[in-house]
Parts: sequence; structure tokens; C-alpha cells
Amino acid sequence: MSEKARSAAQASNRAPTVRERSRQWGKIPFAGASTLLTDAPVALAGFVLFYGLVALARYWTAPVNPEAHIDLRPAALPLYAAFSVARIAVAYILSLVFSLSYGYIAARHARAERVMIPILDTLQSIPVLCFLPPVMLSMAALFPKAQFGLEIGSILLIFTGQVWNMAFSVYASFKQIPREMLEAAQLYRLSGWQQFLQLELPYTAISLIWNSMMSVAGGWFALMVCEMFVLGNRDLRLPGLGSYLQTASNAGDTRAIVWGLIAMVSVIVLLDQLIWRPMIAWGEKFKFEQVEAAETPRSPVLDFLRRSKLLSRAGHATFAPLREALTLYFARKELETRPRTEGRDFTEWAWRAAWLVTLAGVLYGAAKMAALLTQVSRDDLREIVWGAGATFLRVELTLVLAALWTIPVGVLVGLNPRLSAIAQPLAQIAASVPAPALFPVVLLLLIRIGGGLGVASIVLLLLGTQWYILFNVIAGASAIPADLKEVCGVFRLPRWERWRTLFLPAIFPFLITGFVTASGGAWNASIIAEYFRFRGQTFSLTGLGAVISRATDAGDFATLLGATIAISTLVVAVNRFLWRRLYRLASTRFTLESA
Amino acid sequence: MNLPKAEELQSIVSHGRWDRAAAVLARLDPAVAADAFLSLPHHEQEVLFHHLPLDFAARLVPACAPYDAFVLLHTLPADRMKALVEKMNPAERVNFIDELPEEVWRQIVTEIYGDDGAAARALETPPAPTVEPIIEARQIEKRFGRAGGGEVQVIAPTSLRIEPGVIVALLGPSGSGKSTLLRMLSGLAQPSAGQVLWHGQPLDGHKPNVAIVFQSFALFPWLTVLDNVEVPLLARGMERAERRRRAVKNLQAVGLAGFEDAYPKELSGGMKQRVGFARALAVEPEILFMDEPFSALDVLTAETLRGELLELWQEKKISTKSIFLVTHNIEEAVLMADRIIVLAANPARIRADFRVSLHTRNRNSTEFLLYVDYIYKLMTRPLLEAEPPAPAEVGRQSGAARIPYRMLPHARPGSIAGLLELLNDRGGKEDLYRIAEELRMDVDDLLPVVEAAALLSFAKSERGDIELTPAGKSFAEADIAARKTLFREEALAHVRLLQQMHSAVLTKSDGAMPLEFFRDILDEHLSNEEVQREIETALDWGRYSGLFTYDSETDRLKRMEVMRMEVMRMEGDV
Repeated sequence: MSEKARSAAQASNRAPTVRERSRQWGKIPFAGASTLLTDAPVALAGFVLFYGLVALARYWTAPVNPEAHIDLRPAALPLYAAFSVARIAVAYILSLVFSLSYGYIAARHARAERVMIPILDTLQSIPVLCFLPPVMLSMAALFPKAQFGLEIGSILLIFTGQVWNMAFSVYASFKQIPREMLEAAQLYRLSGWQQFLQLELPYTAISLIWNSMMSVAGGWFALMVCEMFVLGNRDLRLPGLGSYLQTASNAGDTRAIVWGLIAMVSVIVLLDQLIWRPMIAWGEKFKFEQVEAAETPRSPVLDFLRRSKLLSRAGHATFAPLREALTLYFARKELETRPRTEGRDFTEWAWRAAWLVTLAGVLYGAAKMAALLTQVSRDDLREIVWGAGATFLRVELTLVLAALWTIPVGVLVGLNPRLSAIAQPLAQIAASVPAPALFPVVLLLLIRIGGGLGVASIVLLLLGTQWYILFNVIAGASAIPADLKEVCGVFRLPRWERWRTLFLPAIFPFLITGFVTASGGAWNASIIAEYFRFRGQTFSLTGLGAVISRATDAGDFATLLGATIAISTLVVAVNRFLWRRLYRLASTRFTLESA
Repeated sequence: MNLPKAEELQSIVSHGRWDRAAAVLARLDPAVAADAFLSLPHHEQEVLFHHLPLDFAARLVPACAPYDAFVLLHTLPADRMKALVEKMNPAERVNFIDELPEEVWRQIVTEIYGDDGAAARALETPPAPTVEPIIEARQIEKRFGRAGGGEVQVIAPTSLRIEPGVIVALLGPSGSGKSTLLRMLSGLAQPSAGQVLWHGQPLDGHKPNVAIVFQSFALFPWLTVLDNVEVPLLARGMERAERRRRAVKNLQAVGLAGFEDAYPKELSGGMKQRVGFARALAVEPEILFMDEPFSALDVLTAETLRGELLELWQEKKISTKSIFLVTHNIEEAVLMADRIIVLAANPARIRADFRVSLHTRNRNSTEFLLYVDYIYKLMTRPLLEAEPPAPAEVGRQSGAARIPYRMLPHARPGSIAGLLELLNDRGGKEDLYRIAEELRMDVDDLLPVVEAAALLSFAKSERGDIELTPAGKSFAEADIAARKTLFREEALAHVRLLQQMHSAVLTKSDGAMPLEFFRDILDEHLSNEEVQREIETALDWGRYSGLFTYDSETDRLKRMEVMRMEVMRMEGDV
């Protein structure tokens, strides 16, 4: 048999290739009714999205709204929800672009890495809401004429809340790419673009998706605060779900509160179902595993989109040729370039210049900062110190309270698969509601039954933090191997002994992870929990958060700076000296992996 | 000595009745026959030997003392000698070869197999460079900076050439720098000194057309098989249709037609590596580098893939001009390569470089076993020659030339005990490759255990054999507690690091010594990973033999009694 004939024979009994399949599609010019059924909703969704963008643009360029008027009718809710989602979306896209570039540069340039990663580490531990008062005020001042300024401010804050975590995850996964994969890319001389598209981006995809989910949850937290931001006499509220809930609580309108909460939960559940679940299911493709997993996440929405011929044809017509052309372009450009030997001098020079500029900038900033700090009065300083102590105690108390109920409940749920099947989704929904959205509601309730901001602030901190601990404890408890549980049964260990020898050590690493996240969240929330304007009254407690808000209110930038430095230092110190050590202990002594 | 038989034989021979003498001998047990035979005068032995039937001669030779056997064999013409060696029972043949001094053995091999023209093809002589090499390495070396300053020499200055038309195998123990050498030759890594020439041109800046098949396959899991093979073609700016044509062609060549749309995770290890081959072959490389391509696969799959690759190569179905295979599997090297380079470690350098001229690549053939055994001998022979002085020796800065620190073989006491027990069961002496085969271990894993047993003077390792010493025998037969005592004595007598650790915890008043102290000492000689490995081995041995205990929480070595007292005190508290 000739070579040709053999290959033809082989070709006939194998599965159709991608190309052959696409040829099949080409044969059917008009899709049948079933296609219409799947394609119509997709097309409709496209139009709705476009209309939303137009409406948003019109609103954003409109002149500034001096007194935010919030409409409490339920019919206004969809628009408010759309505003909130749009802010999140814009901030997310910014964060994505930033994290990919930041992570890429830090992972690929050893010299940049040495500076960029410590910066990231520090920025990650500064509570984002520290920036809230100054950012909102400065943006309102910068764009006094248009609504645009406040919007930019809120987007900037959400961005700050999202981006560090994502950048870190991108950096970490870029660093984890197996050496042999990189060597293959180097050996076959992949252009930078092809390497990014076919190796680096896919490799980071899964961790990026999961971290995006977490980051966006953090974004909701910041957004709610932005939307209901009232500082002193200045009403800087933005129309959105947050301001709706706040106005409703202010007015004591229970019906509106309920509608607002329903809208909030539905938006979050919808986002989860329409964006994150499909993303996670799609991300399975990028799992770096050698064997196929038995159980993979599925998403009906993704299946639906995959079935849509309109989308796939649109993809074939636009993305595929574009990607092909770009990749070929970069590949040919790469082939043409001679090895860079003469360019090195220039790069070296550019690096040095960048270094000098950065150094000068940092020195200048530090000098200015020091000058400003000297203006902090002795009284303010005392207030900062006391406030730091009070907030510290408040945060730790919250963690203890959270641990007290989450550990027993979490272990119970984690050990019982049937119970956790029911409890997990409920807890996830409860956890996904951003705590600040509930704050006015909680405050309203507490004022009615006679509690003050002192109790309310703890409740708020709890709402924002307990879930992290709960989920981690559940995960830890469900990861306890069955044979260890059986050993406890065989030796008839009494209940307390079981907790002491198995459950507590086994969940310890998970508990610490939960505590680390929860502690960060609690510090963050403390800034709004200690100083709140409600029904024309200002509620305030002793605490760093209150100092920050009050200083912004009074335009006392020296105190604001001092307090921000204090809170950041405190958070970094607690992380370094407490959590990181416990974390190390957990990962060396209390892991269930037998190394 | 069987005197009556010897006398009978002598009288028959003295009458010149050779055939009758041969018949008498053939009736005897080979050992008895050998005795009688060797009692004959020397010149008569030779004549009689020529009259012996081949079958019997093949049984007689192994029964003779090695030197006599060698002399006897030597009197035969080459073809008859070859026929005789091939007639021998394989086990006896290997034993016989083992007994011979290495030079003698090599001489025989040359005589047997060098008949078609070439003592030039004798072992350990690199091929005469008759053709233009594709890649030539000139005195390349590799040094790595150490965290604490200074440098570690990983590869000593090394020169080698890869000519077209051959499969070269690079053999060496793990950590001997095989992969580093491969990466320097393929242009992935820069040598610290020296030059790699690609068709006579310096490699830096030049882009050689090579491909690597990786141990871990290094496929992109998110791309289909077809897209994976297309990746390097896309990087060469090839149009879509041409890419697809080439990829499909190469997938067919490796037997993967029909799997174009599959994702790598749906494939078995062997199929994944086929994709790896297809991707490498798609760029039509001049040299195909392979970095332990079969070691992640199971035995059967690996064997199949090897066979198929050889077939592609021999039938010239692939355009690759040369294959460079890195492996730690001796049999794999002998099976596939036309030329084998054996590396010695610390720092890596070429220990032997020889041609393999096999007539058949059959695992049971004499020739095959000869080569395998020869390489075992090479790899287990202690390095007697002085360490070659490295040009950029770090010691120069500190003034004195440093004696290289000898690391402990990284073996667990349990494995050492297991090896000694096995040896004891086998009567105290065994061929290393047979042990490796029995235990299904690579040389890589076996050699450290052997070295450890030798270091503790429980065993002697010589010329590819391992033999139990009296101490080793009593260890193998002792109970657990007695074994620990024996191990402790030998460890204290032979391992300096353990001596230091032991005396440190003995002399310190609190009976505790920070481990960091020893890490600092070792840091002077070793790289970070080496320090970690060395400490790990020392802790393992020290804890096993009860020289000290180690408290991981405080990172301290402790005297046994101190630890016991602490435990008692804690129990008192509770």
C-alpha cells in the first residue's frame, strides 16, 4: 500500500478533526429551529448589554447630582442593581489588566521582582477602606462638574480592594510553571505573545478565576461602603444597591429593606450562576493535571453557551482569525530579530534610570510625609494610640466570637456529608451578601431594641468575617481521613479526647487560613463600623477607624495620615508576628499529608 | 584433586590419543574434568583443548581458574572462541567474565567482536572523527553560584562531538549533571566557560534546529494533541494548512492517527510521550535530544516505545540526523545507542566514551550482557584517580586547596538492612545487576545503598559484584536491637559527621546541640540542597542507631537520655 493510500485509509476511520467539523457547519447555511431556540437568548443578551452601556454612558456624563435622591420604589431596583454591577465590572476589568501586567513583569524580571513583590505584600495588608475617605473627597474635588468624579472614586476603591490579591495569584502561578514547559517554549522559540497565549495565560487561568471570585466579593464590600458614603454634611452617595438599602433603613421602611435585600441576593446569585459557575466549569480545561478527574464542575449556562451556534460561528469568524494573524505576526517578527546583544546596554541604562526616578520619588514622598506628620498634635496622637488599642481588641474579640460558634458548627457540618450538602449553599449565599449592605439594617434593628454602635460594630465585623472561618473549618473537617475517625472509634476515645487528638489538630491549618483572611476583613470593616452616620446622627466609637473618618471629615490630613500609617503598621505586624508564625507551624506540624 | 582420573588422562594423552582423552573428559563432571585437565602439562592442555567438542569446552572453561581459562581461550581462532563463548550457559558466562581482570576481558571482547577489521572499535576509544560533527562542545563547564558566596562546579571542562548517523547515550548516576550537559548542548543553557559549536559556528546567537523529548512530556494540557504538535510550527510562522499537514503526518508516524482532537489528560503515559515525539519530530530537528524519555513510563510501555523509535530511526522514517539520549538505565543505553558516554559525578566529567557494536539488540545475547556488565563495573569502580583540578577552584581565594567533602550515600538504614539480608540469603555474594533486576531497581537507586553498605564496611563492592563482610553477615543475622548496636559501631568508626554530632551531644552539658551548627559547617563544602540531603541522611542514620535524637521543634540534636528525661518530666506534669 502506498503511503498516500494508507494515510487515506487511516483518515477514514478516525474521529473528525476540528477542521472537518467546521466544514460540516459550513454546509448548513441556515440553522434549524433548535438553533434558534438557543441562539435567540444569546443575541437578546447581547442587545441588552449594549443598551446598558449606552444608558450608563449617558448617566456618567450627566452633571453632578448635588443631593443624591434615592427612589425607594421596588421598580427602581433593577436600575440601581445595574449601576452597582457596572461599577464592579469596570473595576474588575481594570484589575485584570493591571494584575496580568504586574504579575508578568514581576515573574519574568528578577530585578523588578525584588521590589515589586514586597510592595505587593505590604499593599495587600493595608485595609482598603483606609483609602475610602481621602479618595472619595479628592475625586469629588477633582471633578466637581460631573458625576464622573464620584464614580471614578468608587471604581478606584473597588480596584484597590480587588487588585492585590489577583496580582499576587498571577505572579504566583507564573512562577509555578514547570521548568520543562518553559524550556519547551524556549527551545521551540515561541514568541512572547505565543508563550503568553498558549502557556502563561492558560496556566494561570484557574487560580485567576478563583481569585477573581474572591476579589469581586471584596469589591462588593468596598462598593457598598462607597455607595452609602456620607461624610459630615457632605452627601457623597451614589445611586446603587448600597445607597438604596441605606436610605431604606434611614427611613425605617421595612418593605423597601426587604426588597433591597432580595435584589442584593438575587444579583449575587445571578452573577454566580451566569458568570462564575460557567467560568469555573470552563476553567477545568486549564487544569494542569495528567489524568482526567472523576468529578468535574459543571455549569448548565456554559453548556448552553457551548451549544449556541451563533456564538461559535461568531468566534470562528472573529477571534480565531485574529488570534492566528497575531500569533503568526509575532512569530515572524521573532524569527527576524537577531539575538539581542546591542540592545542590552540600553536596557541596562533604562533600568538604572527607572531605579533613580523611583528612588527619588520615594525619598520626596517620605520627606513630605514626615513634614506632614510633625503636625499631628499630642491629643491626636493619644487618640491614635488609644484607638489602635481599642480597634485591636475589637477585632480580636470578633475573631474569638466567630471561632466560638464556627468551630463546633463547622466540624459538625464537615463531618456529616448530608448536612453539609444542605448547609453549604445556604451559608454561601449568606456569606456572599456584602456586610456593609446589612449595616444600616443591623443598626436600625439594634437601635429599636436598644443596643448602640458598640454592639452594632461587633455584629458588623462578625458579619464580614465569620464566613471565612466557617468555610475553612468545614473544609478542614471534611478532609479528615476516614481511617483516622475509625481509629478514634476503635479505641473508644471520649468526645473531648476526640476533639483534642483529632479534630482540633486536623482543622488547625484550615482554621489559621480562615483567621488570616478574617483578620484582614475585620480590620477593613472596622473603619466603617466605628463611625457611622445614620438618620442625621453621627455614631462614633473610640477606635482607629473612627479617627480616620473624623480626620477626613475635618480635613485634618496630618491625623488622617498618622492613623492610616498606624493601622497599616498594626495589620502588617499582626500578620508577620502572629499569623505567619502560626501558619508555618500549621503547615509543618499539623498537615495530614504524609511527606 | 581427583588423582586417579588425572593419572588416567595423563597416560591417554601421553600416547597421543586426543579424541579418546576428550571422550573421557566429556563423561566427567565439569569441575572434576577441569581438575584433571589442568593437571596436564601446558602444551598438551592446548592440543587437547582444540580436540574438545564445543559443547563440552563451553562447560569446561567456566570451571577452570580464570587465568587458565583465558589462556586456553586465547589459543583458539577468533571465530571458534566466539562460538565457544556463545555456547556457554548465560549465568556461567557472566560469572566467568566477572572473574577475569578487566584488561583481559576487554582483550577478549576485542578479539571476538573486533574481527571485522577493527581493534579501532575497541571499547573506551571514542570514534575517530571522520565526519563533520553537528554539535561540538569545547571545554564547556558549568558552575553555579552558592547562596553563601563562592561557586560550585557542576560540570568539569568537557569536550565532546556529536556526529550525524549515530544514537549517543549519556549515562550517569542521578545528580551527575546529565541534564545540565544536555541543556548546554541544545542551547537552552549557557556554559559558564567553553564553547558549543553548531556546525562549526558558535551557538550563542545562533538558533540550532533541535528538539527535546522531556521526561515529564511537557505537553500543554489545554491544547488538543494536534494543537500541541502545531505549537513549534506556529512559532516558525508556518501557515495553518501546512502546519496541520505536518502535524497530522507526524502523529501518524508515531501511531496516534485518530487522536488529533484528544486532550493530553485523556491519554495514557505512553501515548503522551508519543505526542512528545511527534511534536519534537515535527520541526525536523537535526539532533533529537531526549531527557530520560522513558523513565516516567511503566516497563512494558517503555520497551514498546523504545522499539518503535529504533524502528523509525533504522528505517530512516525520521529525518533526524542524530539522537542524543540521556538516561540512567544501563540496559536502555546498550539497547539503543551506537555510542555510550558514561559520566562520573561531582563534578560531572566523562569517565568513559565508547562505541557499542552489537550485531543484534537482543537483551539475552552474550554481547548485550557483556556491555551491561562492563558498564556496571565502570560505574561501581571507585574513582582512584585524583580529582582533576578545576580551573576556577574556589579554594584558591581562601589560600589552601580544599579536599572535596565526600557526601554520605543517600540511603535509608532499612534499605541497607534489606540489601544485606538479600545478600546473606544469596550466599554472601552477588552480581549488582542481578540484584537490581531482582529488586526492580535502577542503578541510580541501588548504588547509594551499595555505597552505604560499603562505607559502613558491611559489604565490599568490586567490579560489579557485592560481597558481604563478616560484619555484614552478623548484621544480617542479628535481631533489631543488636543491629542498631552494630550499625552504631560502624557509623561511629567510619562517618565523621556522625562522630561530630555524637560527641557534640555527649560533651554539651545540657545534652543538646543546635543542628544549625552542623549545617553551617557543611555550608562551606556543599550547595544548599546537598546540605539538606546530607543532614537528612545523617539524622536518619543517627536516629536509627540511637546515637542521638532530634527534636524538630527546637531544631536540636539531643542526647538519648536527655530526651527520655524530658518525656518522663512531661508525663509527671500530666
